[in-house]
Amino acid sequence: MKTHWHILVVDDEEVMCESLAAWLREDGYSVDTASSGRAAVDKATGRDYAIYFVDLKMPGGLDGIETMMQIRRLHPDASIIIITAYATVDTAITAIKEGAQEYIVKPCNPEEISLLVSRIIKVKNLQRENTILRKKLQRQYCVQDVISKNPRMHELLKLCDEVSSLRSTVLIQGESGTGKEMIARAIHNAGDRASKPFVAVSCAALAETLLESELFGYEKGAFTGASQQKAGKFEMADGGTIFLDEIGDISPKLQVDLLRVLQDRSFYRVGGGQEVRVDVRVIAATHVNLQEAVGEGKFRDDLFYRLNVIEIRLPPLRERREDVPLLAQHFLERLAHELGKDVREISEDALKLLMDHDWPGNVRELENAVERAMVTSRGKTLGPEDFAFLAQNGASTKAPRFPVGVSLQEMEKQLITVTLDRTEGNIKEAASVLGIDRSTLYEKIKKYEIPRG
Amino acid sequence: MKYLYVGGLGPAADREALARIRERVAAEFPAPVREIELPDVEFAYDVGRRQHKSIEVLEMLARQSPPDAHKLLAVTERDLFIPVLTFVFGQAQLNGRVAVVSLARLRQEFYGLPENREVFLERVEKEALHETGHTYGLVHCADGSCAMSLATNVRQIDRKRAAFCAACEGHLRRGAERGLRE
Repeated sequence: MKTHWHILVVDDEEVMCESLAAWLREDGYSVDTASSGRAAVDKATGRDYAIYFVDLKMPGGLDGIETMMQIRRLHPDASIIIITAYATVDTAITAIKEGAQEYIVKPCNPEEISLLVSRIIKVKNLQRENTILRKKLQRQYCVQDVISKNPRMHELLKLCDEVSSLRSTVLIQGESGTGKEMIARAIHNAGDRASKPFVAVSCAALAETLLESELFGYEKGAFTGASQQKAGKFEMADGGTIFLDEIGDISPKLQVDLLRVLQDRSFYRVGGGQEVRVDVRVIAATHVNLQEAVGEGKFRDDLFYRLNVIEIRLPPLRERREDVPLLAQHFLERLAHELGKDVREISEDALKLLMDHDWPGNVRELENAVERAMVTSRGKTLGPEDFAFLAQNGASTKAPRFPVGVSLQEMEKQLITVTLDRTEGNIKEAASVLGIDRSTLYEKIKKYEIPRG
Repeated sequence: MKYLYVGGLGPAADREALARIRERVAAEFPAPVREIELPDVEFAYDVGRRQHKSIEVLEMLARQSPPDAHKLLAVTERDLFIPVLTFVFGQAQLNGRVAVVSLARLRQEFYGLPENREVFLERVEKEALHETGHTYGLVHCADGSCAMSLATNVRQIDRKRAAFCAACEGHLRRGAERGLRE
């Protein structure tokens, strides 16, 4: 339907205005008219039109070009067609220079005007479709989208929904690959902050000083290279949610800073003396047991209690094995589309194999396994042979090739170094090969002081 | 009882075309059709453009419309225009009472081609349905074969059928029933 597209016709000659409006209405558009530039700007203040037809010569007040400039100030992307009775190159150039999309010389051939309008509307339709798709994409993580028939997961999702509109801090605990960020996004999207930013920060990925300026921003001159003021993630998330992944890894100093943000909802930029106030909901996540870390004195208890207002514990996949077939089928369908492969199902034998596996890397590992099987499979059904690598991976860990006498830590360090070497420093790829998530890999790189690239 | 009046503007209007229009609109629209004599439109002549102003023609028709006219469709030999366009094949009051169709550009001779009565009469039927359709609130249809699709040249008119698509037909029936009741 075209009726949802509104067009404004601006001309001081009533007959010109009304006849074009009538012609466009017959074409199905909703058309408003304005008899002066001023009236047009007033109308454009109230709403943005899909197309503006503006007559170039209008006596007194604003002429066509001035009217166009004022409309463009209100709506920078406005599609404006200048109507002129004089086909001079000068006026055409001026009109286009000032931002007119097209100009038509009246009287104009009906075919020309019809093509012009349909071309602009086609672009508008695509822009609108793009906006809708973007919205859909941003909302892809909804509580309803979580695939599970596990009663514990259902309880947990109910809790997510209930707490979504509160500002209380949420602490999500779970092993790597259990979907902590997905749950954080689902909580954000279900609540009244959904239209505001969701900013995710991996605390394990950055060194202390970098993380501090990343979180709180910095003032110009705060350190070498700080050539201008920069807003931190907390400021970027104002009105929305900040997701602090691997919170267990932050330094004692940052723990103090974070505690203050949670208490006062304010902080100072690095090198700054002016307090910055924000309205941010904090969702933190960790794969380590924070309570144990508190007991060991590695994590401040006051910060732990501030974070742990609402606690969500995501069960590992091995504790919800009934979800494995559902998740595997879901990944298969999605990846078939993405990879352009006509693989339709997973055989019962293969499903049994998948359900028996322990999935130390949880849902993420399952997703990687399905993808790997699909890439190498030649049939329409994935069989147990397509997942043979799962058993091989297990076997290789059972029979290490390292000589006896090397410590476990040394083995891990060497394995990570070699893997990073193979992937030419690509963290994502290396983490996938090692079957761990990126934050864990960052943590280990930091721990073993492995040089990168 | 309300009627759908069909008439030529001035004595020069093609009699055969008028007869075909009456027959076609009687088949497509729910109101009974009546003939009407209408004055010529010399008053609407624009010396500069050497064409007739269709808006002034519509205004005159609205004034001359008989009290028992449900709709009034006028046909003229004159070439019509609206100020912003070089010409129009016809014009109607959207959701209104009156409409006009110009025969001038429907003839093959206008384009320097030999006369073809059948092609001409088919175009006349389609344009009559199109403009009358507008008075029933129909807007341009995306189906290029429907009489309500937009035609800015005769090739596009020739691609249409002298009938409405199912969607326009449905809209027309509902609108017409409402209109006749009022």
